[in-house]
Amino acid sequence: MFAGVAVLALYKGMLHSRVRTVIDAEVAHLQIHDTTFKKDFEPVFVLQQADSILKVLHSMPEVKAISARSITQGMLATTTGSMGVQINGVQPQQEYEVSQLKKKIIEGDGFHSGKKNEILIGKKLADKMKLKIGSKLVLTFTDSSAEMVSAAFRVASIYRSDNAPLDERNVYVARENLNELLGIGNGLHEIAVLLNRDEDLDRVQRKLQEEFPAYQVETWRQISPETDLMINTVDVYSYIIMVIIMLALAFGIINTMLMAILERTREIGMMTALGMNRVRLFFLVLLETILLTVSGTPIGLGIAWLATNYFNKNGLDLSGMGKEMMSSFGYSTLIYPEFPSDKIIGVMMIVTGTAIISCLFPAMKALRLQPVEALRR
Amino acid sequence: MNTVIDAHNISKIYNPDTIPVYAVNNVHLHLLKGEFTALVGPSGSGKTTLLNLIGGLDKTDTGNIFINGKDITQLSAGKLIDFRLHNIGFVFQSFNLIPVLTAKENVEFVMLLQRIKRSEREKRIHTLFKQIGLEDKMNSRPSQLSGGQQQRVAVARALASKPQFVLADEPTANLDSKSASNLLDIMALLNKEEDMTFIFSTHDQRVIERARRVITLVDGKVVSDTAAVDTNVLHETIK
Repeated sequence: MFAGVAVLALYKGMLHSRVRTVIDAEVAHLQIHDTTFKKDFEPVFVLQQADSILKVLHSMPEVKAISARSITQGMLATTTGSMGVQINGVQPQQEYEVSQLKKKIIEGDGFHSGKKNEILIGKKLADKMKLKIGSKLVLTFTDSSAEMVSAAFRVASIYRSDNAPLDERNVYVARENLNELLGIGNGLHEIAVLLNRDEDLDRVQRKLQEEFPAYQVETWRQISPETDLMINTVDVYSYIIMVIIMLALAFGIINTMLMAILERTREIGMMTALGMNRVRLFFLVLLETILLTVSGTPIGLGIAWLATNYFNKNGLDLSGMGKEMMSSFGYSTLIYPEFPSDKIIGVMMIVTGTAIISCLFPAMKALRLQPVEALRR
Repeated sequence: MNTVIDAHNISKIYNPDTIPVYAVNNVHLHLLKGEFTALVGPSGSGKTTLLNLIGGLDKTDTGNIFINGKDITQLSAGKLIDFRLHNIGFVFQSFNLIPVLTAKENVEFVMLLQRIKRSEREKRIHTLFKQIGLEDKMNSRPSQLSGGQQQRVAVARALASKPQFVLADEPTANLDSKSASNLLDIMALLNKEEDMTFIFSTHDQRVIERARRVITLVDGKVVSDTAAVDTNVLHETIK
């Protein structure tokens, strides 16, 4: 019971953590783009009604923060090599609020006002390209006139998020610097919107889509379909895990009940000799198993609840178990397990069912005991 | 006098396909109600096997055993269990009380299997504990009782189901002489007052001396039976 609930709690915590990372640190609740922009990231497809959109967003009480970005795909080159990246032109304060970029910085202290062509790069990219704070690099991309543009940038900070592939692919520069190079003036390609409450998501999306039908208003579920898929399949995965745990439980129960029968062979033989029939003997083993399960369930449940609550407050650090691996799948190594209250009834039914099925073999063993042989032992 | 046990030509053979060993060899037995019988013989003579066959705990290879006219060798396993429950009481050498139950609960266990009403159970329990002289130990667990006391509880358990007869396999083997004497007194009293039939296997000379009929087994065969004479006398008397 403890193992089942603990795994579900861990799984729920990991999933919740992943969803929060997606919303609070990667894509925000909503993103607004020109309908053709995301097809091939042509700089020319800016949001024509950006000011109107921003005005509407600022007037909505559901909106917590907004980050208006200009985006292009380009090549990052250093003396050691080159790599394709997504260049995000951002307003630092907005970005710090929407994607918590400031909190992710592990080296340097972010953008410096007044300094031109500063760039924030991910730790994985920095390691791969052997870049440090102050290192110089060249970004090359096409501008709005489809002309190749190159510019030198200096690494101002290095950040690290829970999603290593994202860190490798995304670099951040000041929006005015990028816009100048792209030749789009004050143009914007993307507006990321963070809401106060998750529950408002669909309503705000509908409202914005109705107001600006010419643009693509997408929720995080549409932008990150793999996370959405994960949520939708969580029950299946968790029950698969439960089945594996139940297999272990079944072996435990079979072992316990076989031992109980083995230890009480004489007693069972005596009861059969005195007149206890096979049906009663079968129900005796069944009842003992059920009592074992019933008495173990609240204990397991209680320990699981205490452990889950403790780690929910203090976090469960799994960095020792493979930080790189967790990060490469976009998961934080600090998990806050959540007690799976919604699945307790299901887990209890599975545990009881497994216990009953598991006791069949020991019960058959007991039924096959001949009183004479049993009494001789 | 009613016949309680009538066994004809019964045999129990171990290893019949290799080297056959006759644990019980072509035994005929006729026991009447109220007999106080000892099965004696050296170790391996077949005393316990014969008791097991009579008690329906083991299957005969040949012959038939009639208990109150019913051939128990023809009963299915399930019906045999039910037959034992209502007709035969057992006392085992090593007591075999259920350790987690009290003395009272051990005695009550058989009556619960028989689905006897609570009031009737209580009444019978008090009578039995009075007869075995352990009224003050009813709520003690087996571990809190001496060997002799445990065996007396086992006798009470055997009698709780109001059986036709009681089979006792070396009932005094694990008891000191005083406890053995006490147990025999109780069994003899029950035999006398309630006309309860007792058949016990034993090596114990004190038990043999108290028995009114002694059947001696050697190599699975009955070599002597004191009742052969007694029964004839009895039959003559009836005539």
